[in-house]
Amino acid sequence: MAQTTQPPEDDTGGGTDPGPAVKMENITKRFPGVVANDQVTLEVERGSVHTLLGENGAGKSTLMNVLYGLYQQEGGTVYLNGQERNFQTPQDAIDAGIGMIHQHFMLVDTMTVAENVTLGNEPRKWNGLAYDAKSAREAVRELSDRYNFDLDPTAKIEDISVGEKQRVEILKTLYRGADVLIFDEPTAVLTPQEVDELFRIVDELTEQGKTLIFITHKLGEAMEISDDITVLRDGENVGTVDPETATRESLAELMVGREVMLEVEKEDSQPGETALSISDLVVENDNGVRQVNDIDLTVREGEVLGIAGVDGNGQSQLVDSVVGLEVPDEGTVDLYGEDVTDISRREHIERGMSFVPEDRQARGLVMDFDLVENALLGNQYDPDFTSGPRVDWEATRDHAETIIDRYDVRTPGADTASESLSGGNQQKVIVGREILRDPDVIVASHPTRGVDVGSIEFIHDQLVELRDEGKGVLLVSSKLDEVQQLSDRLAVIYEGEIMDIVDPEEVTDRDVGLLMAGEVPDEYGGGNE
Amino acid sequence: MSDRQYPAPVQRFFRFFVGNSVVERILISIAALITAVIVSSLIVLAAGYLSGEAYNPLEIFAVLVNGAFGSPFDLDSARLFTEGWSPVNFSMGTTLKETTLLIFAGLAVAVAFRGDLFNIGVQGQLVLGGLAAALALVWVAPFVPGGLVGSLLLIPFGLLVGAIVGGLYGAIPGALKAYADANEVITTIMLNTIATGTAFFLVSAYFADPTLQSVKTKAIPDVARLNGIIFPQGGQFSLVALVLALLATVGVYYVLRYTSFGYDLRVSGKQAKAALYGGANAERMVVSTMSLSGALGGIAGAMWSMMVIGAWRQGVPSIGFDGITVSVLAGNNPIGVIPASLLFGVLKGGSNAINFQLGVPPELVAVLRGMIILFIAMPEAFRMLGNRLGIKPSQAAVTGGGGDE
Repeated sequence: MAQTTQPPEDDTGGGTDPGPAVKMENITKRFPGVVANDQVTLEVERGSVHTLLGENGAGKSTLMNVLYGLYQQEGGTVYLNGQERNFQTPQDAIDAGIGMIHQHFMLVDTMTVAENVTLGNEPRKWNGLAYDAKSAREAVRELSDRYNFDLDPTAKIEDISVGEKQRVEILKTLYRGADVLIFDEPTAVLTPQEVDELFRIVDELTEQGKTLIFITHKLGEAMEISDDITVLRDGENVGTVDPETATRESLAELMVGREVMLEVEKEDSQPGETALSISDLVVENDNGVRQVNDIDLTVREGEVLGIAGVDGNGQSQLVDSVVGLEVPDEGTVDLYGEDVTDISRREHIERGMSFVPEDRQARGLVMDFDLVENALLGNQYDPDFTSGPRVDWEATRDHAETIIDRYDVRTPGADTASESLSGGNQQKVIVGREILRDPDVIVASHPTRGVDVGSIEFIHDQLVELRDEGKGVLLVSSKLDEVQQLSDRLAVIYEGEIMDIVDPEEVTDRDVGLLMAGEVPDEYGGGNE
Repeated sequence: MSDRQYPAPVQRFFRFFVGNSVVERILISIAALITAVIVSSLIVLAAGYLSGEAYNPLEIFAVLVNGAFGSPFDLDSARLFTEGWSPVNFSMGTTLKETTLLIFAGLAVAVAFRGDLFNIGVQGQLVLGGLAAALALVWVAPFVPGGLVGSLLLIPFGLLVGAIVGGLYGAIPGALKAYADANEVITTIMLNTIATGTAFFLVSAYFADPTLQSVKTKAIPDVARLNGIIFPQGGQFSLVALVLALLATVGVYYVLRYTSFGYDLRVSGKQAKAALYGGANAERMVVSTMSLSGALGGIAGAMWSMMVIGAWRQGVPSIGFDGITVSVLAGNNPIGVIPASLLFGVLKGGSNAINFQLGVPPELVAVLRGMIILFIAMPEAFRMLGNRLGIKPSQAAVTGGGGDE
């Protein structure tokens, strides 16, 4: 194990050893019942950003885990700088100059940035007897400055933002001497501003000769940041394309294997009477800070009311109060004119409110349970699925099979545990269950987060169809294009307040962006409802 | 949710236990049993060597099994079976008595575990349930006609009183957890001490049988006792009780698997947030789960009073604590509680015979018993711990789904 206590010298590329920085040839990796990678070949040029694009379950992470030594391939060869290398453990890969930035940070919250970066390769003093905090700080400061990371080595992890935590993770790999950095879905946890910051850092890193591999399923960022894009589908490399010549549509088609409608097609809405009405809603956190501050909103039958905003501006608390998971501190929620503010979650369900939660793996599904048992969640007191205190498992099984059929859930069967489904298919189970409940109002919170392109299209169509049937739809999403395309009216939330309600057809991206940042645009025609 | 944050050896270790199917788990238990026999044999040999006695491990295990069932095997002669052996005998009764009580205690713990609650308080619920049943029966029996009619009225009544009192006593830590956020592990342990102390005080101060020196209530009239049917009188075992225990097992299984309440309970145990999302009332679920658990413990106590002692007296054996091990052994599966309880019953019933027939000191027998329980319970305990740590059986299930957590 190479104990790198000094940051490595820059590898400015080229040198005596031309050829790709990373070459993976005919990699095959099988898991029981699945071929995760089928003869995949990948070449990554030194100093470039290479994106692995694919739907969930396409085999992107598996391929990178082979490179990183977490998995051993059954066939194929890995070359690093032209030399054949097969890593048995991640430590081997790290020693060879590969770093991986996982989506879930592995940092010790109570320790400082410098301590976290040097953890495992600490600089020592007194003949190795003590941790040399000073040189650790300096080494980290120097690295941070070199790449313009803007990190304070003495800050505690628990006090810094998600974006900064990610930079600490990057710094960790650099400190260990990584030349090839693998980013696993790096933008999934970031706000739009933090994404911009990350992309700036990516440029910085490639300028200094680092080679970057990006795992993502987001078309937009793949096109924005990559020098090359390799698309994986069902464990196979279906093509490496140049982002300059590719279009979103062509990439989506490669990913999904068929033509995908990225634009939502919908008729004009025919709004009816008020279905859901929220007045003067206030939700405070434990410290008395208002997370939802005096919100008034109405959702009419046959319309989609979208709520746009950066995550963490009170959307979760607003949604929880509406669906009966939280009792607001002030204000009322009415469903068809009846006050439902204080009634239980179960009564909300019984009164025809469906809810697609943002956190499908914690709330929407019981991961250990099979799809039959999950089809019952929220329906366990519905007379259609029970007789008295007894659950009618026959009816529930039929229901699960209906969901699988109608919502195109890719699963070996209804008896499969929901945790072994891909994210998109899990989401389809939830959406199917919530829509088949035949609700009057549906609240959908980030319904396509982490979902692959093909499933996004499908879920969007389902929501529009519900609207056309005259249901009220409340849609919360941090994806601007999603809320803009689906909504009939668009409310922008910032720090628990509705900045404005705008017409999504008329408003510009820039104005919505400003509203999301809490600023009211100049020369701006809109006004409060 | 990722299991990456634990060091690789830890993950590998727990993954071995987490991912097993039911069949594999049963096979592991059998392998553990065999290992336990081998290891404890070595201990027996060592103990014999040190004490200068010649203990034969094979003989000890033969007597253990044989003794538990009233010597079905003839160990001394060439014939395999003892002539004239009948399954209805005193030793068998003792074994099944232990089994019956442990089924109820094990079910009590298992129900709570399924709702993600650790009810260490079954012992206290059992003590108070048993006392209440004894007192109620002593008090009510004179007003009820004798004979079969009286038994048909009084026995269900006694069990019901035990269940209600045990259930209420279980509801206390449930309510404390639900409404005051008090950890049920702590409160139930404290409530055990309170139950034992209160019962002792009540009986010694108000309800003691004045003709006796000991802290013991008046005897429950014969008509209200679970007397030996088929099995000999005085054997402290009633076949009716065993049948009730088996029915209770099926009942608990049914409730968990086939009712809306059981569904809510299981979802609450697996994923509390999903339960709330699905419309379960978290507070009410905690209280009702603990009440159901306590009620089962209370029935165990009532059975002890009505079948074993014929009164209530101080010094209730630690059935409630053994129930924890039984439940772990059974993987918290109600049906699994039956064989787990039987194993415990055999170990208890058989160990007396080892002492009587072979002169092996009871302490050494207790060591053997402990070894066997430890070996069999550990794989299940590791499995529960692994699940709790969030370690997944394998990385194979989902590939590339990094973006959806």
